[in-house]
Amino acid sequence: MMAGSSCVLCLIPRVLGHLEKLEAYSHKLTLKQEEIKKKQEKLAKMTAMIQRLKDKRDRLKTKMALQGGMPVKQLLQKEASSRTSLSLGKTQEAILEMKLKNVKAMLQAYYLTGISAKRINQGMCVCISTAYEGNYLDSYYLDLFVQKPIQIRQHSVPPFIPLEQIAKQYLQLDIKCFLSVLSNHLNAYAGRKYQADWFQDSSDTLLSGTLHRNSLCNLLSFAYNVEWENRTVCFKVKLVYGDIARSLPTEAIISCEETISPSLENLISSHSALFRQKALHNVFGFFQAERESLSQMGTSLTSHVSLL
Amino acid sequence: MEKSLYEMYENEIKTLEQEIQELTKQYEDNQQKEQLAEEEIEEAIKCHRGKTDFESRTSESLADMRHELEQLESEFSFLTKLSGIVFTRYSKQTVDKDENKCTERHKITGNCYLLPFQIECTLLKVQNKESISSVVTDLSIIIESSEYSDLSKFVSRAVETKNLLLFFRSLSSFAEWCNRRKHTFLHFKERYPEIVRLPEGSSADYMVLRNPKLSGCELIVVWKIQINEEGIVTPVLDLLTKIPEQALRLDKKKVIEKTPLCFQNLLDAFGIECAIDNVLKAFCLEEGGSAIDK
Repeated sequence: MMAGSSCVLCLIPRVLGHLEKLEAYSHKLTLKQEEIKKKQEKLAKMTAMIQRLKDKRDRLKTKMALQGGMPVKQLLQKEASSRTSLSLGKTQEAILEMKLKNVKAMLQAYYLTGISAKRINQGMCVCISTAYEGNYLDSYYLDLFVQKPIQIRQHSVPPFIPLEQIAKQYLQLDIKCFLSVLSNHLNAYAGRKYQADWFQDSSDTLLSGTLHRNSLCNLLSFAYNVEWENRTVCFKVKLVYGDIARSLPTEAIISCEETISPSLENLISSHSALFRQKALHNVFGFFQAERESLSQMGTSLTSHVSLL
Repeated sequence: MEKSLYEMYENEIKTLEQEIQELTKQYEDNQQKEQLAEEEIEEAIKCHRGKTDFESRTSESLADMRHELEQLESEFSFLTKLSGIVFTRYSKQTVDKDENKCTERHKITGNCYLLPFQIECTLLKVQNKESISSVVTDLSIIIESSEYSDLSKFVSRAVETKNLLLFFRSLSSFAEWCNRRKHTFLHFKERYPEIVRLPEGSSADYMVLRNPKLSGCELIVVWKIQINEEGIVTPVLDLLTKIPEQALRLDKKKVIEKTPLCFQNLLDAFGIECAIDNVLKAFCLEEGGSAIDK
């Protein structure tokens, strides 16, 4: 009995040791299984990706096979012999003419993209066109000497555009980047000017008094009338375009001579937000639409604006 | 074994991607050549028919024409490099014309860093006292933008406001950023093949960094390119961490929590490529994560 129990006792550490080993083993196994699972998942993902790419490639190949067509030369001969009385030489001449016309037209059409250029001796003449919404506006020219260091020989960029600063920062590093930044500035200016011009032109109906602006059009001030609690109130606005590479203001300060009540304050802040988010003509278009819908509904402006 | 399987798969993906790129380019080239050829002949003959009685050009004047064409073509390729936008086909048709107004239909097919587009627009040109003003009165743009939700939103806004010029400018800068991202990812993949993974290819918006010695720990560089309503393109980079729970518990100094912020600081200080390089070196080439918290 004694001998037996001592035998069992001395077995315990061995069993425990064995169990520990087993546990460690099973832990390792689960880890390994997880790892294998992960790897399998990854492989499956890769296989799927390969399949997708293969499909894409095959589709392209089919498309190309369908493209097929006849080589140009054969086409030429076919045309020359069957359709017309033109000789092969004549047809080629006609095609040459056509090609010339095409390239010329394409070169011309580049003004639509905002940047076009022509090589002139030792340099290039770049034309930056501007647009606001659908309206193509003024174009500006830069005559660049392209050998390093690149120099601006002549230009028609207005003096209030920080051309020198932009050139200093980008011109030597990356001419494309330089042109793109300059184009942003010019387009933003064109956009601000367009809005101010539009506003001035429609002054009688919208403006009360005159519109003031500076040459860069990054500071506008004007006044307009608002119907408020069955009265006409005059709002004086100052629009500050803090970022001159944008055509929307960063600040819209509205003041008015009335005593400010909470509902008037609401109205002012909603108008101020609109000026910061929308182009001027859209803001006034919005007011107009609002007035019309209000007069149809017969409710007062304040109740509606407070909903905004 | 497994590793070589991965490598095999990754190589296959790479080759396929290359093949697709080449095929796409070839396809586009063919398309352009062929259509031009057919159309050119049709048109050219139409133009020529009326004047068949004219005397043939001398061979010199033909040579002059060829020379002019060559020059214009080189001018054209210079311009495409400068603007990043390549027109492959273009046609213009005058629809309506009276004294000082004319309406034109333009059709432009082209691409910008392999991002193809197709545009149709109507321009109303009015001759004023001093200048001609052009207004886009109708615009449609087809572009493969399903991968880029920002781009498709921007395109529909550009169509709505008919701002063709803004579309071109933003597209060019968007595509340029995509191109830069791709080159950067590929550069790191080539330089550190053991560490860098591009699970969805080089055109995707993320790259995974893994330290071969720290299994389960990954850093993910997410690089999105956003376009806002005004067409302003901005790259937005983030660093995400994928660290097992056990490791997180050991992270007493909250290094991992701070990592994304540190990455932003690195970006501000060094620029994109250099910031990624710094993170990669700190995480994968030196001892563990100790260098990340600098």
